[in-house]
Amino acid sequence: MPSLKQITTKIKSVRSTRRIMGAMKLIAAVRLQKAQAALMAYRPYSDAYRDVVLNVAALSESEDHPLLRVPEEKTNLHVLFFTSDRGLCGSFNSALIRNMQRYVEEQSEVFGSIKLSFVGRRGRDYFSKGGVATGKYYTGVNEKNSRKFSEELAAALTEEFRVGGSDEIVLAYNHFVSAISQRMTFERLLPLSVQENDDSGAESSSDYIFEPEKERIIGSILPKYVQVRIERAMNESLTSEHAARMTAMENATSNADEVIAKLTLLFNKTRQAIITTELMDIVNGTEAQRKGGNE
Amino acid sequence: MAEKLRLKIITPEKLVFDGEVEELVAPGQMGEFGVLPGHVPFLSMLFPGRLRFKTEESGENTLIIHGGLADVKDDTVSILTDQSEDPEEVDVATARKDAEAFQKELDELQDAEASEREELDKKLRIARSRAGE
Repeated sequence: MPSLKQITTKIKSVRSTRRIMGAMKLIAAVRLQKAQAALMAYRPYSDAYRDVVLNVAALSESEDHPLLRVPEEKTNLHVLFFTSDRGLCGSFNSALIRNMQRYVEEQSEVFGSIKLSFVGRRGRDYFSKGGVATGKYYTGVNEKNSRKFSEELAAALTEEFRVGGSDEIVLAYNHFVSAISQRMTFERLLPLSVQENDDSGAESSSDYIFEPEKERIIGSILPKYVQVRIERAMNESLTSEHAARMTAMENATSNADEVIAKLTLLFNKTRQAIITTELMDIVNGTEAQRKGGNE
Repeated sequence: MAEKLRLKIITPEKLVFDGEVEELVAPGQMGEFGVLPGHVPFLSMLFPGRLRFKTEESGENTLIIHGGLADVKDDTVSILTDQSEDPEEVDVATARKDAEAFQKELDELQDAEASEREELDKKLRIARSRAGE
């Protein structure tokens, strides 16, 4: 049985860990709230942008613009993988990495070569150990600089697609559903999936008016669209990360509470046992003395 | 006029406006254009400038928008722009100074790259529309 001192030390250490986790939970909650508000505001914009682009793409021929080109062969796949920089967010990264690994295995049957680029340290740390070709790597992305990062990434990725360095670009990130639920999503960024929009496109290109002409519009909205989708994925991923961290810290705090309760019980029992032993000693001692006096 | 237009003004930060309007005038890149109910499908790039629209409740409204695009389809106009501002909240004097500065810079950059000039041109247009010029 551990000594009383050992138990008090342990309780103290669990208490201080609990305090840290409690603070982290509060920080995550505040950041989640902010990120969620920004995400909810960003979603209508990016969705509307996607609708416009898909609409224009549906009315265009693949020859109209290099970014609309549909590669004849699926050779090079480029996946942009969003994870977090830091840990202590439960199974957030491990679940992402597990799904990613499976996806890479599936796609390697279709594509000749697969390249991974990373936003977030955790994903890169895992995949840089080998097995998959790795491309660009970004770290330190947060809500404030996501626009700048996404612009840089978008420029690089569109250029790569334009010159034929990749035949398909996919975004892999956690889609934020709610504070307790996030869903891993694989979204094809380029080439645009034009076919999906066919059923809604009742108008033909002849009765749609474009100002300036269609080719110039495509030239300016497609790169922007790529940037918007990447920024959206960043925001989704960041919000999901904060949510995952908050949940993880909440669980950790309540676990710590349980441990503290158990240790306190153990402490009380041990103390009681010691008192009982001491009492027994005293009683035994006086018994012995009385017997000795009688004789 | 029985039918109405639905106008949505969306920026990355928020849904600025979503409601019914009677008509609107937007700063298209090929010139200012007006939209009334029953307009044919239309997609236009926008310059930074002033967007005007008329609603039943509040009459004439003006917003400064920072470029973007306008999509007109099925009596719904979606304006997607980087940012929008209320003209009444703008500091006109500063905006005017900015406009002058940008104009000067642009004049000096005659042989700079097209993308650089475009960027500056956009800034200049924003400053001008803020100054109400």
